[in-house]
Amino acid sequence: MNENENNFESLRRLLALKRHETPPPGYFENFSREVTARIRAGEGGSTERRVLEAPWFFRVFLAFESKPAFAGGFAFALCLLLLVGIVYAERPDVAPQELLQTAQTSQADSQLAVATPVNLIPQPADQPAFLSSTNPVFNAQPAGSWLASQDEVVQPVNFTLPGN
Amino acid sequence: MAEPVSRSEPEPSAPVDEDELVHAARRGDLAAYDELVKRYQQRIYATLYHMTSNHEDANDLAQESFIKAFQALKSFKGGSSFYTWLYRIAVNKTINFLKQRKNRTHMSLNDIDFNAEHDPDMMALISEQTPRRAAGLTELQEKLNAALLKLSEHHRLVVVLHDVQGLSHEEIAKVMECNVGTVRSRLFYARQQMQGFLADYLKST
Repeated sequence: MNENENNFESLRRLLALKRHETPPPGYFENFSREVTARIRAGEGGSTERRVLEAPWFFRVFLAFESKPAFAGGFAFALCLLLLVGIVYAERPDVAPQELLQTAQTSQADSQLAVATPVNLIPQPADQPAFLSSTNPVFNAQPAGSWLASQDEVVQPVNFTLPGN
Repeated sequence: MAEPVSRSEPEPSAPVDEDELVHAARRGDLAAYDELVKRYQQRIYATLYHMTSNHEDANDLAQESFIKAFQALKSFKGGSSFYTWLYRIAVNKTINFLKQRKNRTHMSLNDIDFNAEHDPDMMALISEQTPRRAAGLTELQEKLNAALLKLSEHHRLVVVLHDVQGLSHEEIAKVMECNVGTVRSRLFYARQQMQGFLADYLKST
């Protein structure tokens, strides 16, 4: 161990410089008075607690700083949400074509078609459950389709598409 | 004619036993606690300052450590000295603080006192070619603090307590609640790292 101590002698001499770093003159004259004043005032506020009492966005920012993995996960979730949003926003362009195919099939069979898009729109409980639509393009919005219940009564309608 | 008032209180300059002060403080005697704060404020502040390299943070943490110690005095069983117990509170508080502010280090260094400029060891560290001594010391101070901040909190603590504060391995082991062997190995590793960080300044010495 003595050999190690000798190896680090120059480092120890350098570290001795730290002992010469002193606070501003008169700093310790008021220190104990401030401590006892804070005790009398019933203060228990700590630096860590002040961090916890900070606004939520500041705490989230601090969490991002101290945990890069958390920041990465949040960024990934944000990107995923954006991607889903873009894909979802493009879906209405596809839906009318599907509807058109359904209507053509229905006409060929010369039977009343079941308006599938209408069926998928959720209805409040206090409104009549009979639904009809002559505007399939409007009702072909995909939003809310997964909310539809299966046991609603649907009025069959016949679509007459222009040009057919 | 009024009788002279007998003063049973000790003279302000008379040293009071630490145990007596602790017992009085436990009963809520703030004057006794004020005396305890005065006894240890410099050492506690210095440790926290060397750990954070920031005067404002060290000031806040030192005050909060003394407040917390006062609030927790009832739980102080006397198994260790009050000084060790107080040190443990301050050190744990500082390590928690440093973990929270990780990657957000901001140095706010105290001035180097006048004595440093006349310390032969300090003078030996500064190159003779340095035109201005004060500038040389300030630069050295910044490099030294930056190197300390690169160490992990536990390694930095061992270096500060041993090489700066002058505590023995045994005292450090009590403060850090670990065995002496752990203290020695941490000190060796931390010094090795410091030597690497400060290689340019240690070559000529």
